[in-house]
Amino acid sequence: MDLSYPPQAEEFRAELRTWLAANIPAAWTVPGFWATVGEDEAFDLRRDWERRKALAGFAGIDWPVEYGGRGGTPAMRAIHDSELVRAHAPRSVNSLGLVFLAPTVMAVGTPRQKAEIIGPMLRNEVIWCQGFSEPGAGSDLAALRTHGVLDGDEYVVNGQKVWTTFAGRGDRIFTMVRTEPGSSRHRGLSLLLIDMDAAGVEVRPIRQMSGVSEFGEVFLTDVRVPASQCVGGIGNGWATAMLLLSFERGAAGISQYTAYRQAYDEIVRVARALGRDGDPVLRQELARRRVELECLHYQAMHVLTEVERGHDLGAASSVTKLQWSQAYQGLFETFDELLGADVALLRPTADLDLTALRQESFWTRSVTIWGGSSQVQRTIVAERVLGLPRGS
Amino acid sequence: MYFALTDEQRALAETVRALLADRFDLRAVRAVVDDERGDGHPADLWRAVGEQGWLSVCVPQEHGGLGLGLLDAQVIAREFGAGVVPGPWAATVLAGAAVRRDGSPEQAAAVLGPLGVGELVATVALRGPGGSFGPGGIAVRADAAGRLDGAASGVEYAHVADVIVVAATEPTPPGVDAGGGDAGGGVGLYLLERGGAGVRIERQAGIDGTTRLAALTLSGAPAARLPGSDAAALADLLGRGAVLAAADLVGVARAALTRTVAYDTERVQFGRPVGSFQALAHHLADLHVAVTMAEHAVLYAAHALDENRPDADLAVAVAKSKTNQAAGDATAAMVQYHGGIGYTWEHDTHFFYKRAKRLIAAFGDSRQHLEQVARLTVDTVS
Repeated sequence: MDLSYPPQAEEFRAELRTWLAANIPAAWTVPGFWATVGEDEAFDLRRDWERRKALAGFAGIDWPVEYGGRGGTPAMRAIHDSELVRAHAPRSVNSLGLVFLAPTVMAVGTPRQKAEIIGPMLRNEVIWCQGFSEPGAGSDLAALRTHGVLDGDEYVVNGQKVWTTFAGRGDRIFTMVRTEPGSSRHRGLSLLLIDMDAAGVEVRPIRQMSGVSEFGEVFLTDVRVPASQCVGGIGNGWATAMLLLSFERGAAGISQYTAYRQAYDEIVRVARALGRDGDPVLRQELARRRVELECLHYQAMHVLTEVERGHDLGAASSVTKLQWSQAYQGLFETFDELLGADVALLRPTADLDLTALRQESFWTRSVTIWGGSSQVQRTIVAERVLGLPRGS
Repeated sequence: MYFALTDEQRALAETVRALLADRFDLRAVRAVVDDERGDGHPADLWRAVGEQGWLSVCVPQEHGGLGLGLLDAQVIAREFGAGVVPGPWAATVLAGAAVRRDGSPEQAAAVLGPLGVGELVATVALRGPGGSFGPGGIAVRADAAGRLDGAASGVEYAHVADVIVVAATEPTPPGVDAGGGDAGGGVGLYLLERGGAGVRIERQAGIDGTTRLAALTLSGAPAARLPGSDAAALADLLGRGAVLAAADLVGVARAALTRTVAYDTERVQFGRPVGSFQALAHHLADLHVAVTMAEHAVLYAAHALDENRPDADLAVAVAKSKTNQAAGDATAAMVQYHGGIGYTWEHDTHFFYKRAKRLIAAFGDSRQHLEQVARLTVDTVS
């Protein structure tokens, strides 16, 4: 066991910390600040701030230098993500592009795609959406029906995507399309890149149970997409999608732990403000949640160890997903519990505003659904980790 | 960042596993469990454990030991748990840790050398009848001359121990103001030798046939104080005990899960292996997550104690409460998912289930450790 980071990574931490201290307005660090800003304004603030951070050299931490990255290690990436949380930096508005599309393009993109896609993404000049899920294809991605028909050197795409993050604000979307007429399941699919302002693209926001609209529906009607806008080869979409989804945020657990620890402390402060932090039953419940957060931290350190040694995480990433999503969601169940009779109120007392925590609590209901629901993850663990016989 | 066992530690685990498979499998465990009158301390196994040096893991090199840490000891504890191995290994290692930390050079020399090679069986007696693990649960008093009076209960293998480390409350030393708080002074650890005057040891009937317990009744029994011991020494000993118990538990839990998966892959009902039913498969997947987290937590806690990390107290409480939950659930699932056969004496499930029951309460139950987590994480938020 060696839980330290190499000196080079610690130097990087110090440098980043200094930059963050000078570049995050004090107002942003007040808990609940983002809940007080309108959605459009918040998006613009986040996009512009993240661009400044990239221009200062704090982006693409573990990407090769040739792609505009910093050429750093997975540990430096973990430190970057964690320091951002610690400093109350806004969350990325381009994470789907940064996490999934960019490494896929680096791996299988054409030289031209690499040049056109990666740099502008890193500088937030192009915000990327992901178009995988459809009304009839959620956990079962291979059931997707959006299709493209070749006409000259363009595909004419028709269909509907759903649960698209930043659908109304993104510039482009990487999307799974059935490009081989009559194909089914995993065959005949392609990963196409589509401009969100192309003719025939219509976006409808989805209002979530939290009241905000980070997700949207994307309707594609006779959208013309040049065949050159395919990543990973026409008809090879399933393999490309599997590659893309394999870019699990291996180092993300450390920053998630940092974030959920902040939420834990916030929740403890609420309990104290309401005089409930001495209740022995609630103390047991809070402690139980904290135990799960600490376990998430251990798992994150374990995963980082594996990633740094170049090991393939494989189905073990389902273990991480189950742990973080359930620990996070569970923490907010205890939040509800400790509010007691005040659970229905956003401001139970004059000086206690729970708006931000309440929004987060609704958000936690989604984390066990997206990115592979807990049920899908359990099936993966049962069959591929434990080796149990497949269900019929 | 390296959060994993080293190659050497993995090799050690492999060696322990291989020796147990070869020389002390579940049939041997069953023979010990079924021999209810026996002392539960198989001599041939003890000899092998001593020859392998597994008793000397934490014994310093100047006393002939390996001088390794709790992280290495937990590797062995985990394998012993997985094999539901009988005998006073954990008790002996723990008593050795107390002597190493708090004993005089003479005490260390007298105890640690023989203990490391298996010539001495040792154990710890830390709580009185009905008492919990902690200073409040002690029911032995020491007088100024080091004579002990009182009782201890549930002491692992006291009936075969050559030395017993006994926790006792102490009178306030002359000239020290007892103050308002701890009435009656502090806590000390005492070395009690086998067969001394005023010592009565009686075996106690218990649920876990793989580990035998005994009660201690002390009436003016002369004992040697470990000069370095105090309340912090007791806390340290309890922390180490909790980590070793957690390691054993996590071994029990992993073995319970692995054996259940194997059984449910073979067992056919309704024309399918029962493990292909989602009701079982998903629960087993959840158990895999829980056991994996518990394994991590034990590693972290052992490392934190070895390295005196500032969050060591939290790490111990996290590890014990998480392993308690994971092992409790995994062993209950083991019984359930073996169906009717899992409820029989004939099947091995009950060894795992009962060993988990005992260990879940050992060195602090979940309630106690969770309250500790709350003290360290709720009360400290500013």
